[in-house]
Amino acid sequence: MVIVIFFSSCKDKEYAIPLPKTGLNNDCIKRSLGPNIVGMNIEFTYAMALPNATGKLVSSQVEATIAGATGTYLENKSYYTNGSGVDVGIVVGNPSVTTSTKTEVIFSKDTCASTLRYFYYIPEEARGKSVSFTFSAKSSDGESVSYTMGPYVISKMDMKLDLVLSDNNNSYLSIADMAVYNSAAAVANADKIDLVYLYRAITGITFLHSLVSPANTEYLPGVTLPAGVTKSTKVSKAWSLRDFNLARLQYGVYIDDVDFDVIDLKDAPNYAINTKAEAGVWVETADGKYRAYVYVNKVDNTTKTMTVSIKRLQVK
Amino acid sequence: MLITSRAQCYVSNFELLGSDFQTVRTQAPVIDTTALTINTIVFYGTDLKNLYPQFSLVTDAKLDPKIIGKVDFSDLANPKKYTVISGNRQVKKTYTVYITVQPKP
Repeated sequence: MVIVIFFSSCKDKEYAIPLPKTGLNNDCIKRSLGPNIVGMNIEFTYAMALPNATGKLVSSQVEATIAGATGTYLENKSYYTNGSGVDVGIVVGNPSVTTSTKTEVIFSKDTCASTLRYFYYIPEEARGKSVSFTFSAKSSDGESVSYTMGPYVISKMDMKLDLVLSDNNNSYLSIADMAVYNSAAAVANADKIDLVYLYRAITGITFLHSLVSPANTEYLPGVTLPAGVTKSTKVSKAWSLRDFNLARLQYGVYIDDVDFDVIDLKDAPNYAINTKAEAGVWVETADGKYRAYVYVNKVDNTTKTMTVSIKRLQVK
Repeated sequence: MLITSRAQCYVSNFELLGSDFQTVRTQAPVIDTTALTINTIVFYGTDLKNLYPQFSLVTDAKLDPKIIGKVDFSDLANPKKYTVISGNRQVKKTYTVYITVQPKP
């Protein structure tokens, strides 16, 4: 019996330089992160290219399923980063024209490759709904391509940034109105005042910057409440919750609609004393209609002021 | 948890956190392992209904009742009691936690 064993060697495939794709191609990425809040942008970058010998880009268009609010635009500049790390824009097209759901840029320079940024300014009509986007491009050789992004759910929440509360002056905070009132305006809006801001430097205890329900007079020393301001609002202190949209710091933490749905504030007290900068409080209004997160951007012991930013969701 | 041969049975430290998980104690707790009491002073304005106690126990001991979430310490007339059980499960000591709120000056 003869056993014949064959050996064969594997030859590595020769490395070949990859061939570029032919024809018009595109790609898209969503750049913005976190909840899609009405009044903010959803940002995309849309890349289009075709081989130089084949032709040049003619136009680029984005179609949204719900028309963007005024301020929605497709960038008409291509950017490169210079030696100093700064993004420099080069005009490659006419300023974008938005008609209802479509935003279009016609290229004005001969270019076979370009990446354009698209900013969709979220309209009120989109609140709580889903939005999808179709990015498309046309080239001079008659080709067209498209790329669909989404659907993206638009948040139901509201946001208000940088409200300044000051002790014994503009110290009445309304979650319903997302506004700050002084005592005269507080009388006119008595049924909307949820919290009172006060600053007290009392020796022996740490009171400092505080948010207290009008109903809890024990923690409102030296405050004379306007008539009718009597609510008891649930307040629960939070630490290190630097929501990116509110704090605008380097922390990538986002409060979304679902956080307001799951938070349990039924046993929470109705006051929070000694609140600090970069901390915050979860709030539920007396009627249970709104839940909010009030983030403390900064406090000032000299001017006795506190700057807050609020995210709020109507839960009832 | 393992049953061991240790008979030591005491609380070595007591921490109390508020709803923001920051301490509400104004100073170190006073733990009397003979009288079996833990005395702690908390900041003026502390919400006693939503506190998170943290006991440090001697090696192998366990606590009863277990701490599973927030605890309501607001009934100052009836202070909460926690029993420490030694590693050999033979020695049981019940501590009473007394909380005093910083008075307003």
